[in-house]
Amino acid sequence: MEDALITLLSTLKYPVIRQGGLAQSQAYPDTFITFWNNDDSEHSAYDNQTASAEVSFDVNVYSNSPANTYSVLKQARDLLKANGWIITTRAYDVASDEITHTGRGFAVAYLQTQNL
Amino acid sequence: MSKNTLNLDTSGLDELINKLKKLEGDVKGAVTDALEQAAQTVEEDTREAVQPQYLPAHGKYQGKEKDTEKAIVTGAKATWHGTTAEINVGFDYSKPGAGGFLITGTPRMKPDKALQKIYKQKKYMAQLQADMGAVVSDYIREKMEGG
Repeated sequence: MEDALITLLSTLKYPVIRQGGLAQSQAYPDTFITFWNNDDSEHSAYDNQTASAEVSFDVNVYSNSPANTYSVLKQARDLLKANGWIITTRAYDVASDEITHTGRGFAVAYLQTQNL
Repeated sequence: MSKNTLNLDTSGLDELINKLKKLEGDVKGAVTDALEQAAQTVEEDTREAVQPQYLPAHGKYQGKEKDTEKAIVTGAKATWHGTTAEINVGFDYSKPGAGGFLITGTPRMKPDKALQKIYKQKKYMAQLQADMGAVVSDYIREKMEGG
């Protein structure tokens, strides 16, 4: 699911990075997206086999333009929703290491029924 | 204040509550107990999760003041809003501390695994809900059986 998430978010044309993946010496891109896989839980089972799994992620947008932080977050949310992802929390502030950037995030889940 | 809350909704239990009243039962008290016990569990687990061995860089940046540990909601009391009781758990964000940073991480710091288990994974919260339900149902069963 992580690959699918990265592929979708990359269509927004901003760098997509795993949360915590930026090196201490690396500069923040002007606007970028981070993600983190919070959980991968069995959702249902049939005949002692997993029938579906709930995979949940945090998706965060950081930008040196506060307007972009909000607008790109909405674009990302709309994009994932249109592709079958479930938005479980619409938005919240997230901490930035850099005073130049603001961050906002949302929580998203996918009910995986294939390639389990 | 904390942005994490636990809650229990007792709507739909009116008939049962009235029956128990006749038996001098106190369902509200049992629900309050259930929430406060759960909040105590979250408080203890959160305190454990911010000990140096679980923190990024093993607490190297924790500081002598231990602001993050001091920001943990302690001794929380349940409050009632109609038929729903709720209680604050987690970190009090009006106080200094890195609780929020540790839960979500930053582009240069991974989220803290021990806190993630408590605040971001379904299993922990599901267990808490089950424990709260057990406290209330044990109380009701005891009253119904004349305890």
